[in-house]
Amino acid sequence: MGNKSKKELILFTLPALIMVSITIYLPFVISSYYSLTEWNGISKSAKFIGLQNFKTLFFNNSQFLNVLIFTGKYTFLFMLLSNVMALILATFLVQKIKTANILRGVFFVPYIMSMIIVGFIWKFIFSQGFARLFEITGWGFLNLSWLGNAHLAFYAVVFVGVWQQLGFYIVLYIAGLQAIPEDVMEAATVDGAGALSRFFRVKLPLLGPSITICLFMSLTNGLKVFDIILALTQGGPGGATYSATLDIYREAFQYNNYGLGSAKALVFFLIVLIMTQIVLTISRRNEVEV
Amino acid sequence: MKISQKNKLKNLILEFIIILIAIVFIYPVFLMVINSFKSFREVIIDVIALPEKLNFSNYLYVIDKMNYPQLFLNNLLITAIGIAGIVALSSLAAYIIDRQRNKYTRLAQLFIITPMLIPFQTFMITLLKVMNIIHLSGSRVGLGIQYWGFGIPMATFIYINFMKTIPREIDESAYIDGASTFKTFIYVIFPILKPVTVTVIVLDVMWIWNDFLLPLLMVNSSEKTKTLVLAAYNFVGQYNTQWHYAMTAMVLTVVPSILFFIFLQKYIVKGVVAGSVKG
Repeated sequence: MGNKSKKELILFTLPALIMVSITIYLPFVISSYYSLTEWNGISKSAKFIGLQNFKTLFFNNSQFLNVLIFTGKYTFLFMLLSNVMALILATFLVQKIKTANILRGVFFVPYIMSMIIVGFIWKFIFSQGFARLFEITGWGFLNLSWLGNAHLAFYAVVFVGVWQQLGFYIVLYIAGLQAIPEDVMEAATVDGAGALSRFFRVKLPLLGPSITICLFMSLTNGLKVFDIILALTQGGPGGATYSATLDIYREAFQYNNYGLGSAKALVFFLIVLIMTQIVLTISRRNEVEV
Repeated sequence: MKISQKNKLKNLILEFIIILIAIVFIYPVFLMVINSFKSFREVIIDVIALPEKLNFSNYLYVIDKMNYPQLFLNNLLITAIGIAGIVALSSLAAYIIDRQRNKYTRLAQLFIITPMLIPFQTFMITLLKVMNIIHLSGSRVGLGIQYWGFGIPMATFIYINFMKTIPREIDESAYIDGASTFKTFIYVIFPILKPVTVTVIVLDVMWIWNDFLLPLLMVNSSEKTKTLVLAAYNFVGQYNTQWHYAMTAMVLTVVPSILFFIFLQKYIVKGVVAGSVKG
């Protein structure tokens, strides 16, 4: 490797390396250190306390465990609903329908809107819209306290999360469905496969890569849920919709427990890492080559 | 003949059902828009009814109260700075990483791309501290520059994948004509990268324009530096009983994104697909 190309390599990649280092790696490393300390964020030095924060998280503080359980439940239902619904809608939207393009656009609209605004829209719908619709229709589910009841609020935030992102997964599944060769489907039809068995036996296995991507994206998006909950319930009622990211945020920036907050952040990072690896491995193993 | 007619009917029923689902699906957005044109009294009486007349007085009030032109400008500035840096630094890094291909470039690639797996929330606490120290917090330019770091990993990944498809003969003929590596990049390679650059721009505009958490941490203290979504969050929090003004602020916040989508739908859909093939 010549001197010139070495110089060029350094010159061309250095700006990117520096930016990634100071905005991601450096804060991450410092944060890992602070997870071993007690620090209010204001005083000059943080007090080193070893693994005390992690002990507090898992043994003296059931709140963090509850937060993780909520986040896990949210993510599971969010993944399930968004993938199943997106796949069904995508299957219909690739049929020969005149309005298919407009319809795809309609389903994509919430995805390009800020999640904060999406949360506010639904806060309005749940409180004002549902009340009025109930007066007109008399449908019982419209008269429930969707954001005020702990059990219902869970389903409300999952529903809004799915509503916001559905269009994104529809687009990905449509791209996957369009990549399936026509002759494969024709061969299946000639062999006498009905619509349902064509879907489950042929389309679904061939969609493997799209499913992997969508599962991966919905997993990370589910685990990181923040904006929608902040706008919709702020973690309430009674902590029923308190997500991990909201907890990390509040621990540090509202209660000024930077050490404990950093410890929570590190645990959260490990969970995300492990979960994504598990889902990717399982999903890839089930992929089929064309 | 019979079968195709039956199919036609089936498709028609199918289309009707999906249109129905789509209408229900988008109805909340419609409700937001119609209520933004109503008076306080109209919203209280009936949130579902159409406004009595197309009244823009809410808009004039909210645009003034929120200082909308300033916010729009802030968003534009932050997004433009962010995108310019991400595109320039990522394409440059991807170019040399793909063309040299040795143990150093593999290391650089790993270092730049790995952060795609690190969620922002896991280091945001100390990020604020670091940004305070190097004076990148509290200003629009600083916030724009921060996006470089967060956008580079994915953009570089997308650029490297595309670089692989550009034959090396193209660079070599430029070298023979006496162009330097940098000039070859600027005049020969970068123009060829245009389709990926469009993908990167589309994805990052949607992300930076609507981002909430980073602006909340970095530029929330002053009216002059706030972003649109951040200001809307504060505004709706303040006007949470005056839904007519809240709805107006929300419409004003999403209108730029929706216009962006309507005009660039083709590129956005393509970009979303290209950008997510990263798992």
